[in-house]
Parts: sequence; C-alpha cells; structure tokens
Amino acid sequence: MPCQPPPGGEVETRLRFGWGACAADTDTMTLDTFLTSRTDARPSIDILQPADPFLEAAGESLRRRIFITESTGAGPLCLRPEFTIPLCLARKGEKAGRFAYRGTVFRQGRGEFQQAGLEDLGHAASAERDAQAVRDMAGALAACGLTDITITLGDQAIFERVVAALSLPDGIAARLSRAFGDDASVATQIKALTKPRATGSTEADRLAQAGDAAALEAHIAALMEQAGLPPTAGRRAADIAARAIARAQEAQFTLTAQQGETLRAFLALDTPLSEAGDALAQFADQGGLALGDTLNQFRERASALDGLTVRYRASFGRKLEYYTGVVFEAEAGGQTVAGGGRYDRLCTLLGYDEPTPAVGFSLDLERAEKAGGTP
Amino acid sequence: MTLTIAVPSKGRMKEDTLARFAAAGLPIAPPSDRSYQSQIEGRNDLTVLFLSASEIARELARGTVHLGVTGEDLARESVANADGAMDFLVPLGFGKADVVVAVPAAWVDVETMADLDDVAATFRARTGRRLRVATKYWRLTQSFFASHGVAVYRIVESLGATEGAPAAGSADAIVDITSTGSTIRANALKILKDGVILQSQATLTAAKGAAWDETRRAQVDEVTARLRV
Repeated sequence: MPCQPPPGGEVETRLRFGWGACAADTDTMTLDTFLTSRTDARPSIDILQPADPFLEAAGESLRRRIFITESTGAGPLCLRPEFTIPLCLARKGEKAGRFAYRGTVFRQGRGEFQQAGLEDLGHAASAERDAQAVRDMAGALAACGLTDITITLGDQAIFERVVAALSLPDGIAARLSRAFGDDASVATQIKALTKPRATGSTEADRLAQAGDAAALEAHIAALMEQAGLPPTAGRRAADIAARAIARAQEAQFTLTAQQGETLRAFLALDTPLSEAGDALAQFADQGGLALGDTLNQFRERASALDGLTVRYRASFGRKLEYYTGVVFEAEAGGQTVAGGGRYDRLCTLLGYDEPTPAVGFSLDLERAEKAGGTP
Repeated sequence: MTLTIAVPSKGRMKEDTLARFAAAGLPIAPPSDRSYQSQIEGRNDLTVLFLSASEIARELARGTVHLGVTGEDLARESVANADGAMDFLVPLGFGKADVVVAVPAAWVDVETMADLDDVAATFRARTGRRLRVATKYWRLTQSFFASHGVAVYRIVESLGATEGAPAAGSADAIVDITSTGSTIRANALKILKDGVILQSQATLTAAKGAAWDETRRAQVDEVTARLRV
C-alpha cells in the first residue's frame, strides 16, 4: 500500500499534544493520527542513507540483509532498512522528544515494505517510559484495527542481574550476556562451563597461568615487534596480556550444578507479566540471589502495564549490542507484527557525546495488514 | 543432445584439469586458434568451454553450462545460495586450498572463534573502532562469523596480499586461502583452531538450473563415474 504523507507536514510537524497528554480513544483513530497524538515531531528521513552507521551499530552481518550500493566518493549507501538509526542520527545534538515515522523500508529477501513507529529519545530511562512504549505499541496496533494481539516481554537487565548475582568471572558473565536472546548459544555456553576448559602450553600460556603480567606483556610486545605490527594501532600488548591472564583464570572456573540449574530455571520462566514479579522474587529466594533494584524496576514497569495482557518470557532478548533493557513484541495471526525495546547504547555507538537513553517500537505494516489490520 | 562442460582457461588449474580428464579417458581436444570452444576427443556430444575461474562459477549459477570445474571456495563466495544452485559432484584432488581465519600470532589470548568474539565485542570500547577483517571472501566470512555468533566487526576489502594487512595496519585479522599455511606463518599470523571455513579444491560441479533431460543425465553419470575413479 502507498505511503501516506505525514499529516500536515513537510519536514517536522509540531504537535499540540505532548507525550501522554492525549487520552486517546483509539477506536476512532487512524494509525497516523494516533502516532501524531503521541509524539512531538515526525523528522524527515531520506530513503538513501549512508550504510556505515548501520554496519557500525548492528555489525557486518547486517550487510547481507540490506540493499547496499557504492557511491562515488562518500562511502557505501544503502536503502534505509529501518528508521531507528537514521532517526537517531537526525536528532543528534537536538532536544529530547518523542518522534514518529512511517514509510518504506528495504530488506534483502523481503524487498520493500511499510514500517511505522515511535522513538522516545533522550529522556531518562524509567519504568514509566518503558511501559509507555509498550502501551503505545498496543495503541498503534489498535489504531490499525488489531486488538487481538499477544504481547511478549523480556528484559536483558534482569538476565544480567541474575548472572551478576551468581558471581561469575567477568569474561564469562559478559559472554553469557552477549548470547542472551539466542537460546541455543546460551545453553551451549552453560554446558561448556560445567567442566574446566583446556589451556595451552606455550610460553605465553605459562606466563598467563602464572599471572605474570609484566613478563607476558614484554613477551607479547616482542612478538608484535617481530611481526612488524603497529604498536599503537588496534590491540596493545598490555590489553592482550590482561585478557590472556583473565582467560587463563576463567578456564579453571566451573559452574556448579546448582548454578547451572539456577540459570536454566531462570531461562525457563514464562508467565503472565502480572505474576512475573512474584515469580522472579520466588526464583531469587530459592537460588539465594539478590536481584535488588533491578527487580523493583521490573515490578514497577509491570504494574504500569496493568490492564494490558502481556506475557513475560525470561529468555526473550535481542542479540544486538545496543539493546540494554526491556524488549517486547506483538503477535497477530501467527506473525510478529510489531517489536521494540530499550536501546540506551545506540546513540553512543552513533557518535552522540552524551549518553542518550532511548526506547521505541516499530510496526510491520505489511504483516499487520496480512493479520487483518488496516494500517 | 550435447552436454556443456566449462573448464579453466589458464594456469595451473587448466593444466591439472586437462591432465585429469585425459587420465579419466576423457581427453579434451585442443581448441582451434583463438577459440574457447572444444570437445572431448571423438565425442561430439560433450562440448568443452574454456572460461576464467570466476566465469565458471557464474555460468554454473546461471545454468548456462551443465558442468564446470571450479574451486569450491570461488563457487561458494560468488554465488548467494551455492547449494541451491549447484551440486558439488566430484572433488578432483588438485587446486587444494583452505579458507581460514587468521589473527596475529602475538594475540596469545586468541585461539578460537569464541576468543575472537570476545575481542570483537570490546574492541570498539578499547580502540574507538570496530575490529577489521581483511578479505576478498565477503560472503564466506559473513556467514562463518555469523554461525559463530560474531557480529560486531567490519570487513575491509582486500584484493591481494591479504596476509600483509595486519602489519600494514589496514586490518586486525584476515580471512584468506592457504594451502600449506606457510604464508600465514611467514607473516606472523596464526590460524584459529576452529577457524577453517572451508577445505576447498577443484570440484566437478553440476548446474541445477541448466537444461536437463535423460540423455544429459546419463552423460553426467558417465563423466562423473570416469572422474571419480
């Protein structure tokens, strides 16, 4: 279906309502009026975008999934595969706000399709902000006529807190956190951690096992010099030595049967969000884990979502570096029609000077229409 | 009904292919002057086309030839869904080369792809940029790294002397072909333990998308059987 021009607007449309000020009666709203009522502006986003920010933020593996083209001089360009990254780039150095978008996106395998969404940029992270994003996603789908939806919610922060409470070595905790959202990879890691890992027997391995940082660094610096490696570009001898020593210590670490069981029990949690706070508290008690403030914030967000049917699935996450907290998605007619989350690290990756918290969601309008909606 | 077989038009791969076909009782007649077309001697039904290595992979993918002799590395690199487009029928035992992931030997803490993933994950925080991998094998690199969960790195295109990229400061690690590993070692690099992406060799390959009928299938069975011995 054709892309509707934003109501009233060329570049930015200032709106009468601030976020949340509009007690929306979504029954009578179109998607466009809903998004407009919930946001401050609708920045104009070009279809042709520099490819580098996408590849920097999401990684080289994105290259296969987008339409990329060379330009003369200015580096590769791509057809926008989504709106969040260009929107963050467009708002760099600007005031915090809530922003809407709607238009065509382009992906390998799917070709072109319509997306619409909302990003809440630069406001301090809070349970209320998170909940607002989830409610607005449901509201936007309702404005498309989709009310029979299943919402699933996950939380990277809770998983990281559970891992932290188990007092695992830093490198192992970081690796588990990175794998969060990929069930098979997390399970493989947990299994591998139940026995010590093999260590090597080179000179460097011996120094690493002995924890002799100075000697190891000198040894590595000599290897770098022999290889003609630039000593200041990329990894430095001290970095390599530090990680080698940490790695040698981690190789000795094994997960106890109980720790493994605790992680597996956590990942298996799947419960209505209204009961999830209690379920997590009970889980924490049984495992002797302190989830502290992270759990309080989880509870606060859950109560802010009272009245909306949401399922909490503990293993649900997005394996993208810039997601930091809540993630959520909506299903209708057996397909994921919308998804979102908190991505507090993205703006930093895109070169913002100040830490810029952000949460938002996007609707797949093609799927929403297939599911019976009229976006 | 003729069956078209594409073979390399120059270099060592050409010589090895001619020798191998001759030994299998399928001698390829020398092409007449300036022609790139020939046939198996005495066999009007088996046409031979001399093409460059990269053209062979492309024509196999397009189905304009029935059979081709191509390096598996090249076929998998230049064709999006190689297994959907072609059948790798008979490894021919020459043109052997491994496509491998290698890092500086001075990276004493990196032995596996999991180690490389750790390093990649914190690379930007430590150095202000992503880990860079020099290669001409974009596709193989992307899918192999993805299968090991490595996402945050950048590929730097390298069209020659890839193994020199780390010392030149233009990349941190490489993906390249090697037959004995000696070039890798000579450049003070090391292959990761689980870093062999593909063990490639010249392979008789069939194009799934070519025009096939019973006669041609029988011809392929014959050629395959002879080369397999």
